[in-house]
Amino acid sequence: MILTPKILARLIAVVVLGVILQLSFFSQVAVFHISPDLLPALVVSLGLLGGTMTGAVSGFAVGFLLDCLLVAPLGGGSLVLLVTGYLAGLVRERFEIRSPLVAPLSCMVLTFFVELGFGAVQLMLGGNSNVSSAVVGDLLAQSVFAFFLGWPIYLGLRRLLRPALIEDQALRRPPRATVLGA
Amino acid sequence: MYRKQVRRRRAVLALLVIGSFVLLTITYGQGSNGIQRGVSTIFSPVQSVASGALKPARDTVNWFDKTFDARGRNSRLHSELEASRRQSVGAAAAMAENAQLRKLLGLHRSGAIPSGYEPVTGEVIARSPTVWYADVTIDVGSGDGVAVNDPVVNGDGLVGAVSAVTGGSAQVELIADGSSAVAAKVVPLGVQGVIKPEVGDPGDLTLDFIDSARDIHRGQVVVTAGWRAQGLASHFPPNLAIGEVTRASPRELEAIGQVHVRPFADLRNLDLVQVLTGGSRG
Repeated sequence: MILTPKILARLIAVVVLGVILQLSFFSQVAVFHISPDLLPALVVSLGLLGGTMTGAVSGFAVGFLLDCLLVAPLGGGSLVLLVTGYLAGLVRERFEIRSPLVAPLSCMVLTFFVELGFGAVQLMLGGNSNVSSAVVGDLLAQSVFAFFLGWPIYLGLRRLLRPALIEDQALRRPPRATVLGA
Repeated sequence: MYRKQVRRRRAVLALLVIGSFVLLTITYGQGSNGIQRGVSTIFSPVQSVASGALKPARDTVNWFDKTFDARGRNSRLHSELEASRRQSVGAAAAMAENAQLRKLLGLHRSGAIPSGYEPVTGEVIARSPTVWYADVTIDVGSGDGVAVNDPVVNGDGLVGAVSAVTGGSAQVELIADGSSAVAAKVVPLGVQGVIKPEVGDPGDLTLDFIDSARDIHRGQVVVTAGWRAQGLASHFPPNLAIGEVTRASPRELEAIGQVHVRPFADLRNLDLVQVLTGGSRG
C-alpha cells in the first residue's frame, strides 16, 4: 500500500468510524440473538488490501480504541486484532487473491480466531467462569455474519483506498501511444 | 532491499506485540486510566450522537429479531400469563398486607429502590462486541455521582455493577460477565449462594454453593443477599430482584450445589438503566 497523508487520513477515519459504528449499532442489535462483530472483518479487509504492516497497525489501532471506549484493560483487544490483521496481510502476501470468495472466507475464519483470541485473553486475565456450550454456537454464528459483512466491507475499502493499492495501479492501463502528425 | 523491508516489518510487529503486553500489564485491574479518560472524553459526545442517530435503525433490526422470537414464545407466554394472573392476585393481597406492616414498623422504604441510594438514569451507548465480555457503556459517569461498584438495575431487576468510570461515562459489568459474582438468596427459603454466569449464554445464570438440603424448585425468585460482616459488605443492597430458578435438578443440587437461574432483566437488549448511587460502598 502506498501511504500518502490523504490515504492515512482515510485509514484513520475508517478505523474510528468502524469502532463507533460497532459500539453504537452492531453491538446493540441482535440478529437471531447474536450481535454481529464488524471489527474483525474490517481489520481482515485492511490486511488483505494493505498487507501485513497495514493489517497489524490497523488491528492494533482498532483494538486500542475499542479498549479505550469500553474502559477495558488496554492491550487485550490490540493484541488479538493486530495478530489478526497480520495474518490477513500474510494471506495477501503469500497467495494471489483471485477468487472473490477469499475476502469473505478470510473474514469468517479470522473472526472465529478473534473470538477465540478474546476468550484466551479473558482466561489470561483470570476469568474463571463456566463456559456455556451455547458459546460455540455464538462463535460460529458470528463467523457466518462476518462472511456476509466481509464482502461489502472489503469491496468498499478497496474502492476507498484504490489510489494506494499497488496491484490496482499495476493493472491500470498504460496511456495509449499516439502517432504524432497522424 | 527486500530483506530490509522484512526486518522492518518484523520489528514493527514485535514492537506492537510488546506494546500490547506492556499496556495489558500496566492497565490491568486499574479501572480507567488517563488515556482512557482522555479518549472517552473526546469520543463520548460522538458516541452519544451516533447512538441517538442509529436508534431507529437499531430498533428496526431488533424489531425483526423480536418478531421472530415472539412467534415461538406466544403460546408459552399464554400459559405463563394464566399462572401469573393467579400469582398477582395473591401478590396484591400480600403487598397490601406488607404496606400495612411497613407502616406499623415505621419503615419508609418503597421496596424498588433501597433506602440510602439515589438512582441515576443512564442510556446504554456502547456494548462489548465479543461474546466473552458482557459489558456495556452508559452515558453517565463520575460527574453524575456514579462511582465504581455502584449497583445497576433496570425495570426488571439487577443488571450489574459499575466497573469503571470516567467523567461522562461508565462501564457496567453485567451479571452475565465472566468475572461477575453476586451474593444472592432464594426467597422465601432464604437459601444463600453466589450468582455466576454461564459465559456465552446471558439468559442462564447459575446459583452456586447452596445448601442442597433445602427444597429449591423452579419458579422461585432469587434476590441479592446484601450481606455485611466484620466491616465488609456486599456492593449490592439486599432484596434487588435478580431472576427466577429455571432448573433445579436434585442430582445437580446434591452433587455440586447448583441451580440455574434466568435473569429478569433482558441482558442482550438493554437501553435505559439506573445506577444506584450513594449507598454504603464496601
